[in-house]
Amino acid sequence: MSSTVANAMITSVAARAESASKIYGSGDNEVRALDDVSVTFERGKYSAIMGPSGSGKSTLMHCIAGLDSLTSGQVFIGDTDLSSLNDKALTKLRREQVGFIFQSFNLIPTLNAYENIVLPLSLGGKPGDEAWIKQVIDTISLHDRLDHRPSELSGGQQQRVAVARALASQPEIIFADEPTGNLDSKSGTEILKFLRRAVTNLGQTIVMVTHDPVSASYADRIVFLADGRIAGEMTQPTPEKVLDYLKHLGE
Amino acid sequence: MFRLALKMSLARKSRLALTSLAIILGTSFLSGTTIFTDTINSTFERLFTDVFRGVDAYVRSSSSIETNFGESRRGPTPISALETVLNVPGVSAAVGDMQGFARVIGKDGEPLGKEMGPPTFGGIASASVAGLWRVESGRLPVGATEMMLDRSTAKAGKFVVGDTVRVNAFSGTREFTLVGVANYGDISSPGGATFALFDQPTASEFLLKPGFVDAILVQGDGSVSDEELASAITAALPSEAKLETLTGAQITQETTSQIKTALGFFTTFLKAFSYIALGVGCFVIYNVFSITAAQRQRESALLRAIGASRRQVTTSMMVEALIVGVLGSLLGFVSGIGLSRALSALLNALGLEIPTSGLTIRSNAVIATVVVGTLITVLSAVLPALRAGRVSPLAAIRDSALDTVGNFRHRVILGLVLGALGALGLVSAVNGASTTVLGLGVLGVFSGFLVLGPVFSRPMAMLLGAPITKMRGITGAMARQNAARNPKRTSRTAAPVLIGVALVTSFTALASSLKSEIRDTIGSAFRGDYALSVDSHGFGGIPTSITDQINELPMVEQATGVGLLPAKIGEESRFILIFNPKTAEGLYNIPMVEGQQSALTTDGILVENNKAIEKGLSIGSKIDVTLIDGRTVLLTVRGTFKSAFANYAVSRELFEGSTTPLFDNSVYITIAKGVPDTDARNAIAAVSSDLGIGKLQSRNQFIDSQAGQVNQILALIYGLLFLSLIIAIVGIIITLLLSVFERKREIGLLRAVGMTRSQVRTMVRWESVITSLFGAVTGVLLGIVMGVVIVVSLVDKGFSAFTLPITGTIFILIGAFIIGVLAAVFPARRATRNDIISAIAST
Repeated sequence: MSSTVANAMITSVAARAESASKIYGSGDNEVRALDDVSVTFERGKYSAIMGPSGSGKSTLMHCIAGLDSLTSGQVFIGDTDLSSLNDKALTKLRREQVGFIFQSFNLIPTLNAYENIVLPLSLGGKPGDEAWIKQVIDTISLHDRLDHRPSELSGGQQQRVAVARALASQPEIIFADEPTGNLDSKSGTEILKFLRRAVTNLGQTIVMVTHDPVSASYADRIVFLADGRIAGEMTQPTPEKVLDYLKHLGE
Repeated sequence: MFRLALKMSLARKSRLALTSLAIILGTSFLSGTTIFTDTINSTFERLFTDVFRGVDAYVRSSSSIETNFGESRRGPTPISALETVLNVPGVSAAVGDMQGFARVIGKDGEPLGKEMGPPTFGGIASASVAGLWRVESGRLPVGATEMMLDRSTAKAGKFVVGDTVRVNAFSGTREFTLVGVANYGDISSPGGATFALFDQPTASEFLLKPGFVDAILVQGDGSVSDEELASAITAALPSEAKLETLTGAQITQETTSQIKTALGFFTTFLKAFSYIALGVGCFVIYNVFSITAAQRQRESALLRAIGASRRQVTTSMMVEALIVGVLGSLLGFVSGIGLSRALSALLNALGLEIPTSGLTIRSNAVIATVVVGTLITVLSAVLPALRAGRVSPLAAIRDSALDTVGNFRHRVILGLVLGALGALGLVSAVNGASTTVLGLGVLGVFSGFLVLGPVFSRPMAMLLGAPITKMRGITGAMARQNAARNPKRTSRTAAPVLIGVALVTSFTALASSLKSEIRDTIGSAFRGDYALSVDSHGFGGIPTSITDQINELPMVEQATGVGLLPAKIGEESRFILIFNPKTAEGLYNIPMVEGQQSALTTDGILVENNKAIEKGLSIGSKIDVTLIDGRTVLLTVRGTFKSAFANYAVSRELFEGSTTPLFDNSVYITIAKGVPDTDARNAIAAVSSDLGIGKLQSRNQFIDSQAGQVNQILALIYGLLFLSLIIAIVGIIITLLLSVFERKREIGLLRAVGMTRSQVRTMVRWESVITSLFGAVTGVLLGIVMGVVIVVSLVDKGFSAFTLPITGTIFILIGAFIIGVLAAVFPARRATRNDIISAIAST
């Protein structure tokens, strides 16, 4: 635990949580979704959060991403303490420094693919870096579909647009919540490769929540969660190693 | 299944509340106006039963002429008949009664009573048990210098017993000493009318003609029945006196029904608007059901999957509709009670005091409201419920409902056919077909527009939203897309705005045309410098003796008066124009088609051109005209004229020696050459307006104020249409709330990727504004179409121009903008309260 904190001080940190707790309900109904979690996500790295259902992985992501608030503890994006921000500042932070890819319903049905990609920029009234956006669109190779509405795109194409949107504003960190959960394996692999390329080739930082060992194996590092606590971590994962670890975790 | 439906509808409290709200709005106007009408009617029934409680028989002239509003003008009764009546066995008391024109002049020199308000009467106060008035304080007036006032007029004028009161009537303006204050039955004054009361000889001489009254009130001694008493009196009266006798019950019933007819215009008007409100409410109800049916698609699919039949799914929705229908209508009825109170308060504020003693709530009103409310709710739910039943058990769960317009071509054809039929109805209604045809015409035009609505709501929303996208960037663009995404929903939501705006626009267009017509008519007819006028609805006005006095003033070159009286021409009762051909020349010019106005003699008549063609009359034709006093005269047509406002004109001389008091409505005046304006004005005012007789205005002022009278009617229409706009606002609120609820995940996503709360509010607000503007713009277009159709078909009736109400239209658009902004406040706030996590949580 202390080594994680120490690392954070030395290397460049994109986001971190310190003694983060999230409690729902009270008394007998009390549920500790997060129980004193401290974790650090390095800049330029692809991290995965794994754990069984109800382990708190989604809650952790939501809290670090500024979508939900902690009961106690602190979370930081870069050097910004999220608990110090009001709703407006938090919204601005999400718009400029955080990218999101959800499992489904990622796109606004009334906007076309391009408008969806630049949505966070448009909301901020900024044109964005044109060369970068072009590069991102090249990466997802959806040139011929940019003026299509989401309903005219396949599930895989929709997720690619979502990836491009997350990248478009060059955020500090991108959170992906089961990004391949609703896709067939071919499209899923495609998306995972895009994410990998975004980290390796474009220098982005990604944190992905998943329960699939194959997906997780695309990451540089995996943080395991169980019962709202950090249960361990793994670097250089392979599907076999992850599966093995999960079996061990289940015992 | 029934229990399941009940459970399901109760489980969705907010949906239930919104649906009920729509029904409440639709039905409350219906119940409100019904309760209000019932209350007025029963109040007047009670009042007249009480007022006439001492009257067992009623003697009056048998010659009468009915006028437009159910009221009838009757010839006078000679007071000499009183002797005869008193000698009839069984009669214990009898007294003259009168309802003549008299205006009480307030302490500030202005006549009491509101302009265009209830009439101002002069009457007889008597000690007889048969009299209608009961002394409240002071005593009965005796002699030519004493009078009484009804209690509410005394109060309004701050008069107390002992004061000197000025009154003007047919015989001019006089001063009296107030010796008492009286109640009409047990109320202070009937319907806000003012009453100046005198003893019989004074009243006869001052209001009518010495020796005449309007009627004789008789009380029996109880020895015979009222019917026997009435026939005994009839038998005793000479037949050449042309008198008739009614029983107390008959006159009570007749007076009550006359009041009902007089108020009928008003109550019909209220009914029409309650139907508009109901129709507008239907749209809101239908919209709510359509949207919620789409939203519960998954629920319906689940029911189908676990084994519910189509019919069961449909039935469960219909049961829900039945439940909210009954519930909403009952609540609507209750809020209607409040509404009827508000209506009474409004009328009192306008000076039309309705003496309500509590509300009259008939069981019929409750039943009608609940039946109608439930019926329209259930009918509104039929299509959405059938659609819900048709959902496949494996229905793919769509993230957000996007409806389609269906077959455009069918829609366009149906819409155009309905619109064309409606326009045809309008044209034929304007050309004399019945009110039903008019109603059907309006309905047809509206239905046509509403069927076409979804076809052009998307392009229109995109067009109207274009500047917003420019102004507000992506937020505006999304608002625009949201307004355009469900063309049916947008057009249904905008429908109430469309209906209200279309009615306002066509009424305004009609009123502008009417105003310019009045201006043209008066402008071309009236050539003088000044006009003295009263707004008396053809009852009372400026005594012709005053007109003559003005004409004889040395500072006046020429003065001529114009009045109106009902007469029977052939079989039809009409108000006829009465003027003085001797003084009118060059000052008051009737636009003649054939013949000369100066050629009009005592035995002559001028006929409006279209009327003449209709009746086959030309110069030299002879027609029978029956006057109020029962005289029938054979008049010769001396010319034809063009007018949108009068059908016949006769000479004032026709009434010389008649018992009918003759008043002028307007007196036109040219001042003598070389006389300074102010001197002439002062001289005229000294014998007229200073005495409370008429209002003296310059030519321009007079034309303005005559045209301006249209505005008063327009204001009433605006007021009631304003109420239908309230429904429109609530309709938009409900739709927006449902849309916001439906787009919960979308809004959650937007918030997650960086949309601020204020941007969410902006987005909802502009969607609302676009929807409202869509309704307003199409409403204005429809209004113009209807206005043009009506005015154009009135061209040969004398209407010359269709005037586009530009300022009005601008106000309407600004109003629609404000409505959009206001309607969005609450839904926008709801939208920002969405919890992001639950909104985006994977399903």
